[in-house]
Amino acid sequence: MAVNRRVVLKGIGGALTLPLLETSEAATARPPMRFLVVGNPLGMHPEHFFPAEFGTRFMLPTTLRSLEWVRDRLTIVSHSDHGMNNGHGREISFLNGVLPEHSSAYAEKNVSVDQLMARRTQGRVRFPSVHAALGSGIRMSWTANGIDLKPFTDPHKLFDHLFLNLTAQEKAVRREMIARNRSVLDAVGDQLAGLKRRASRGDRVRIDQYATSVRELETSFAEREGWIDRDKPKFDISGHFADSETTIRNRYDAIFDMVGYAFETDLTRVATVAFPNELSYTDIEGVTRGYHACTHNGKKEEVIAELVAIESFQVEQLSRCLRKLDSVQEPGTDGTLLDHTMVLFGSGMGYGGTHSNRNLPILVAGGGFRHRGHVDARAGNGGNLPLCNLYVTLLQRFGVERERFSTSTGAFELHHG
Amino acid sequence: MADLLRAASLLAACCILLPAADGSDSPGLALLKASCSHCHGGPEPQGGFLLSSLTEGPEPDSLERWKKSLEFVRAEVMPPVQGGRLPPAHRRQLVAFLRKEVHRRSGGAGASPAAPMRRLNNRELAHSIRDVLMIEDVGTHQPMSGLVGDTLQDGFDTIGDALGMSQFHLEQYIEAFRKIVGATVLPGDRPSSRQYRVAAGDMRMTSLSQQRRPARANRTAESIDFLDPRLRVYFANFERAPATGKYRIRVRATGKDRGVYETAETGIYDGDPIRLRIHLGDRTRTFDLPDEAQTEIELEEWIAAGTRLELSYPTDGLRLRGNGNFKFQYSIAHDHLQEADPALYEAVLRDRLPRAPARTAKNPRHWSHWTEQWQGPRPRLFSAEIEGPLYDAWPPKRQVALLGTAPAAGDAAKILRPIAERAWRREVLDGELDPIVELVQALAGDHATQEGHVRALREGIVAVLASPAFLLVNSDQGAASDRFASKFSYFLRGTLPDRHIREAARDGRLEGFAAVLDEVRRRISRSEAEEFLREFPHAWLELDRINFMAPDPDRFPLYSRKRLSEDMVAEVLRFFRHAVESNVPVPELLSANYTFVNADLARVYGVSGVPQDSQLRRYTFTGGRRGGMLGMGAFLTLTADSLSTSPIHRAVFVLEKFLGIRPAPPPADVEIAEPDVRQARTIKETLAAHTSEPTCASCHAGIDPYGYAFENFDPVGAWREQYTMHVAPRPSRSALREIEVEDRERAAKGLPPVEKPWENEPIRVDSSSRFPGGPEYRDITEYRRHLLSEENRERFIRCFIEKLLTYANGVEPTESAALDEIVAKSQENGFRIVETIAAVVDSPLFRDEQVRN
Repeated sequence: MAVNRRVVLKGIGGALTLPLLETSEAATARPPMRFLVVGNPLGMHPEHFFPAEFGTRFMLPTTLRSLEWVRDRLTIVSHSDHGMNNGHGREISFLNGVLPEHSSAYAEKNVSVDQLMARRTQGRVRFPSVHAALGSGIRMSWTANGIDLKPFTDPHKLFDHLFLNLTAQEKAVRREMIARNRSVLDAVGDQLAGLKRRASRGDRVRIDQYATSVRELETSFAEREGWIDRDKPKFDISGHFADSETTIRNRYDAIFDMVGYAFETDLTRVATVAFPNELSYTDIEGVTRGYHACTHNGKKEEVIAELVAIESFQVEQLSRCLRKLDSVQEPGTDGTLLDHTMVLFGSGMGYGGTHSNRNLPILVAGGGFRHRGHVDARAGNGGNLPLCNLYVTLLQRFGVERERFSTSTGAFELHHG
Repeated sequence: MADLLRAASLLAACCILLPAADGSDSPGLALLKASCSHCHGGPEPQGGFLLSSLTEGPEPDSLERWKKSLEFVRAEVMPPVQGGRLPPAHRRQLVAFLRKEVHRRSGGAGASPAAPMRRLNNRELAHSIRDVLMIEDVGTHQPMSGLVGDTLQDGFDTIGDALGMSQFHLEQYIEAFRKIVGATVLPGDRPSSRQYRVAAGDMRMTSLSQQRRPARANRTAESIDFLDPRLRVYFANFERAPATGKYRIRVRATGKDRGVYETAETGIYDGDPIRLRIHLGDRTRTFDLPDEAQTEIELEEWIAAGTRLELSYPTDGLRLRGNGNFKFQYSIAHDHLQEADPALYEAVLRDRLPRAPARTAKNPRHWSHWTEQWQGPRPRLFSAEIEGPLYDAWPPKRQVALLGTAPAAGDAAKILRPIAERAWRREVLDGELDPIVELVQALAGDHATQEGHVRALREGIVAVLASPAFLLVNSDQGAASDRFASKFSYFLRGTLPDRHIREAARDGRLEGFAAVLDEVRRRISRSEAEEFLREFPHAWLELDRINFMAPDPDRFPLYSRKRLSEDMVAEVLRFFRHAVESNVPVPELLSANYTFVNADLARVYGVSGVPQDSQLRRYTFTGGRRGGMLGMGAFLTLTADSLSTSPIHRAVFVLEKFLGIRPAPPPADVEIAEPDVRQARTIKETLAAHTSEPTCASCHAGIDPYGYAFENFDPVGAWREQYTMHVAPRPSRSALREIEVEDRERAAKGLPPVEKPWENEPIRVDSSSRFPGGPEYRDITEYRRHLLSEENRERFIRCFIEKLLTYANGVEPTESAALDEIVAKSQENGFRIVETIAAVVDSPLFRDEQVRN
């Protein structure tokens, strides 16, 4: 078995040495499934995203053209959404189907699908999930406590987080810090009990939230302590920053490469990468306006062209990442890393130009599914597919046994094997 | 739940069919039925809403419907004009009836939700720590940069529901607290001080690229000049502060070449002094430099170890040419020399062009030839000296103030108690400090050195700050007077209460309107309401969204190149400050015929005779088009798209921010057509569906009229008489002939002719409309007059009060008698703004006592 795993010759890192796997699980159990989400907050210009034909014999529209090579391993979903009202601000429900203000009505609040998966990997991998974007986040990923996770917005910081090994002294400091933080938590924890006893009912909710934070942080310290002494895999991203000018292209290249390598070495199994609205995309050929401004193009062709350039850039980045994942043999299988990584591309907004949150642009790649090409997901009565149905399918594929998630009414048909 | 929400959002009318128990209706109820039942009964009620639903279902939901009904009738959206106008007397009667019902159903004042317990937001947190530790700010080492940001709700950063807490927060807090305390309490020996002499040669420019190649700098042996304002200067022999302590910094500098180039080219006004800014982490100090005369700037600052010291040239100019990058500005030197010094001009060309690459040699005006000739306004630095770290004593006084001179872990309880009392904003209960005292003593151990004691106590302070009693505000712990003092302080100052306010509250000296008014006045006059003056208007008007949809950089170049959004926000804040400091009546915020403009805003507003500098000064408009908040660039820009304006966005802003009406969002299943600006259509024509489609009309008839009047203001808020459609330049005559031929060919094939965008005629703006259920208006002047009608004025006051309460309580107030009392108190005092604020603070809705008890 161990010998078989050494088929890997050249990983994403470009290193010829065998990437050191973080966990031993891959050797003993079936290969892990990973989940990558690539999202944006403004949707996609529909005519350039959705193919005109349904089924597997479709023409790839402009925005998706870079995915031609992987078209057999794609499912593009038309007519799915979360039933949200139109307008900005609701795209943050992309991965959970529920807005923060309505989350109290749901048993699991507005936890996002990636975090449910991350929770399942907790303790088995060093990082339950990894989140990255340039500039700012787009509030995609939500914890069970209803807090949106802040992504890494600097590739170098992400690198340090994922790959930088600590010196012996740093390890000692880290351990000491954890010990000190624990004793601070102990002290306030003791105080909490008294506070809670005296608190009114209304206040108790907040104090409970605080107490949960204390408890979760304690657990997290315990887990992190276990990882301190173990070396991380080695990786190099300096190649992306060799040019005098760093562009958003080479910074995203670096981010996707790091995510791919983190999957390959089992540092994490869940990751999200976002293309925020606030970022300047003017590095891209032909783009002079702001991203958001391009969505409100008034149907002017030259402005639409800029929007499509930005969106095509996002898809090209995705395509490049898929190619990297596909270049790595998954140990112990005859498939590639891509076959063991479910990639979800999309947005919680349909199209910014109309402020529509209906018919979200959704694309699933890899994951070893028998892909279906371009699917009209409408039910018999013409209603759009609840996007959470797709998430149920993804959760099941990830190994989270459940029939329901958030606003789901069933599962989306996507088989594997 | 979701269904109910949807139902609530569909609610577009006022109505219910109430069975009268005794067979006879009260006059109010009869009026309600008479006015509403016609459209909102039967199998297909208007707006998809059945009358009887008001009395169905659990109380909280039906209460919502009652409130919505009140809102719509008050806003004169309902009953609609089409059904015949409701006489004003009847409307007043109907409003009174609905309000009474709402009050009755919500159980009077007490039903307004209590200010929910919430965590401190990040700005309150920073101010509070500052005041717990009695220091100037949280420190120059950006200790709070890792904190999770606050979520704004409707612009407010004080909303309880949006301020959640998680393990991520907690961990970052502890880390931040440790850094802050670490730069305040210094265990160990006194670090030695030294002097750093920084010659011009030691001064370096930062670089924008990743490479460590030094940026171009104009320097001599004695001096270095700022060129690109995006770049900063740092000192090679003092990049970072080596130890925490006070540093004395002296910089010798001068302003160079102010007024050599035209303002039109540089974007810098001759009236503005050249300035120099010193950056110590987030802390900045800015100085005016004299022209062509060396001066010495001196400052003393407490700086945390590791802080970068940098200098910059603050200006919003030098971005007008090319794509705004600095290098393109060098061509100003070309234009200037050509006129001013032809001999030198020729000499430069003779020298440069032969050596230039072929691509630029052809173009004498190319920026690359003129880099040596730059005479733009700029600071020139000569030398600097830094001395430090300096201490007033050892341990430093700020540490002694917290811990005493020779602190021991054994005294932890005594030492930490006053710190905890400040932090927790109340008296410390018996035994409450014990876990923290135990922590300190365990850390110190039995044989601690003096340094060990200090280190252990430092952790004790971190634990005091990490405590829920510090991090969570609006708790019901502690004495009522302390809770009020706390609330008052966070409201006006964004920080914990000082001793004065706690004592005044404890002694009952803040009971009653007069006492509160005195205290509010006192705080304002002592500049102790700065936080409120800045944060409240920011939140109320959602100023953070001004660049969410920034005006198109090609069509409105000045907006991005002169950073107009900063001027526009500054205008709002200056105006609001004026309103409070001069205690104007609240309605004047809308009715004022003046605002505060600088030279940049004057260009947008089309006013002349304004001094050519960046300072905001009061300006009075004539003609009734502008003045007050309704004419401000900030409002007009943040409600516009990048290329076009939207009467709907502006209407919704006016309704939500000024009239206290929150229109329901469009139903989820409505497909909204994308605006198409290629066709020469006015926005009115585009929005025609709003009056022809019944589903749209039921709501939009009540919304759109509030926005059409602003159509004379373009996306940056400049006045316009006509829409400049996207008129393309007319093609050459030969091109036109070709198009003519092509059109003939296309016609033969049955194809439409080639698009001819240059043929679009500019279209006159039509800014007239009719208020729902009210008068027609022709333009913005008539609109403004109506918006200041007695009824609207009352709405505005009420709305303003609601926003104050939202800011203070972290939750929106609901209709209640207590709210009416604030309005009445404001009216008694001529609606003056300070009295209105005091009435809010004195209200049970702010004091929160009724609710708690």
